[in-house]
Amino acid sequence: MHMANELLSVPIATGTLAIAAAGLAFICKKARQFIASDKFPLMGILGAFVFAAQMVNFQLPAMPGTSGHMVGAVLLAIILGPHLGAIVISSVVIIQCLIFQDGGLLALGCNIINMAIIPSYIGYFLYKSFTIGPFSSLRTYIGAMMACVIAIEAGAILVPIEAALSGVLVVPFSTFLITMLGVHFLVGFAEGLITLAVLGYLQQVRPDIVVDSLQGKVRLSRNAVFITLAVFTVVIGAGLSLVASGMPDGLEWSYAERPDQPDFKPIVSNVEPTVSAVDDFQTRYTPMPDYSIRTSKLGETNEKEQEIKTSAGWTSFAGVAGSGLTMLFIWMIVSFLRKKKSLEA
Amino acid sequence: MHHAYIDKFAYQDSPIHRLDGRVKFIVALTFTAVVVSLPRTSLSILTCYAVGPFTILVLGRIPLRFAFKHILLVCPFILVLALTCPLYDRTPVNVAFGLFLWQTSLGWMRCFTILGKFIVTMLALIALVSTTRFSNLLTGLHKLGVPKLLIIQLGFLYRYIFILIDSAHHILRARDGRKLTNLGFTAELKIAAAMLGSLLIRSIDSAERINIAMQARGFEGKWRSISKLKFRRCDLLFTLSAASFLFGLHFFIKPILL
Repeated sequence: MHMANELLSVPIATGTLAIAAAGLAFICKKARQFIASDKFPLMGILGAFVFAAQMVNFQLPAMPGTSGHMVGAVLLAIILGPHLGAIVISSVVIIQCLIFQDGGLLALGCNIINMAIIPSYIGYFLYKSFTIGPFSSLRTYIGAMMACVIAIEAGAILVPIEAALSGVLVVPFSTFLITMLGVHFLVGFAEGLITLAVLGYLQQVRPDIVVDSLQGKVRLSRNAVFITLAVFTVVIGAGLSLVASGMPDGLEWSYAERPDQPDFKPIVSNVEPTVSAVDDFQTRYTPMPDYSIRTSKLGETNEKEQEIKTSAGWTSFAGVAGSGLTMLFIWMIVSFLRKKKSLEA
Repeated sequence: MHHAYIDKFAYQDSPIHRLDGRVKFIVALTFTAVVVSLPRTSLSILTCYAVGPFTILVLGRIPLRFAFKHILLVCPFILVLALTCPLYDRTPVNVAFGLFLWQTSLGWMRCFTILGKFIVTMLALIALVSTTRFSNLLTGLHKLGVPKLLIIQLGFLYRYIFILIDSAHHILRARDGRKLTNLGFTAELKIAAAMLGSLLIRSIDSAERINIAMQARGFEGKWRSISKLKFRRCDLLFTLSAASFLFGLHFFIKPILL
């Protein structure tokens, strides 16, 4: 769920960047209080572990041909605690942006909030609140599953919300939300299973690592897996259908006006003076003569419209051609200079 | 097994590589913000903005094929979102380009604008990271106020990513050599868990060894870099030309094209 720059408007992007920066600064300050410098290599290497772990794929149940991999936020939060987990996963997200170009530079704030800070804290506290008290295999199982599914869903919900706040969504909000929730439900479920299995393995091989978070042996049975899958599906499905019915569909809004069908009656129309004033303002100051949807509104004659269109076509052509020529020119100069230099040398 | 470093071009030398990391970072961020805030249905202006990162890539001797391969690798998510636009926005528009004039829908315009913006901003990001060594970028970010803990964390992370990815490859190869068919879900999950668990234990163990080695060499939690950041005349020149590029496009070219 790496967000790209294009899903955000500049105010939302800078706002989330500021929130993420403030959050990280606070977490770093908090973490400084209880970690010594001998923990630094461990945190760095666990971040690198997250990258390496994403290469280990395994076959998913019921979906032949697809394979899942671990994201690791909840596992690290459980082992390291929420503060260090959040720092490690944030650094992973930053590296993914800067080295692997996954997710945009402006969207970095959103990505840190959605994928690092929210899942770490929610995952940790859900897991802890379920496993408090004497050890039981079932409670640990439920706790880890809930932690992974809900933590990842919480991050995934934020993606359409941030995009909708930015006003860039063409897809109806509810459709986008349902798609994100559906996909990330599966992701979270697979994540829960693998997190639990890794915790179980660590408990067998190196119990000292998981001593605080897992006291006894967890058994994973096939029936339990299928039962939880069924329960989660019912719960999330019911939740989604509630969300879907409660929200107005964006499609109705986009057909408020249809030039191709003059006698089309809009389902919703807004005649408030403020709204029409804003509309008018937009018509005047965001002219798009290239794409003449507004010209009919401005009341121009057909002939004039045609003229505008052709001239706009030529300006845009000139823009593209000019940029292309500039790039060609720069490339030629640089390669010429380089050749000259290598001949001299 | 040797890894092709993904940012191998950052270790070249060129006038662009020698610029201050801070300056490049801020310019890239501003450029991205400007491109993202362009109107949502104007394609032709995007090509004008593409001139900027293109120039940096060419001057920095980064092969364009490398850049575009990278963009292709990271585009699936945005591609899906862009391709849903034509499904939902069917307002017909007339598009004129040069002599040609054809009718399409607003959704398609938006789809191509989203993709165009994605390509231009990605070019800018690639131009930034493949002309700046990561350690220099980190020093720059530290000077810009990023917490020290996070900088140290990023430094360690960058140092060990490729090593751990290598050992993950080893484990994967071992699994492929031993496992010939699909063993069913439970067994597969157990194997994957054992692989991940042993990878985690390996990481923790090597972290302990690295910590001992670093303590022995006097590491007390400070990030030191050999590169000294200095704002020189060429940095000023770069900033001024970037600013005049953005201002020129905004105030002279944009009003004509839009």
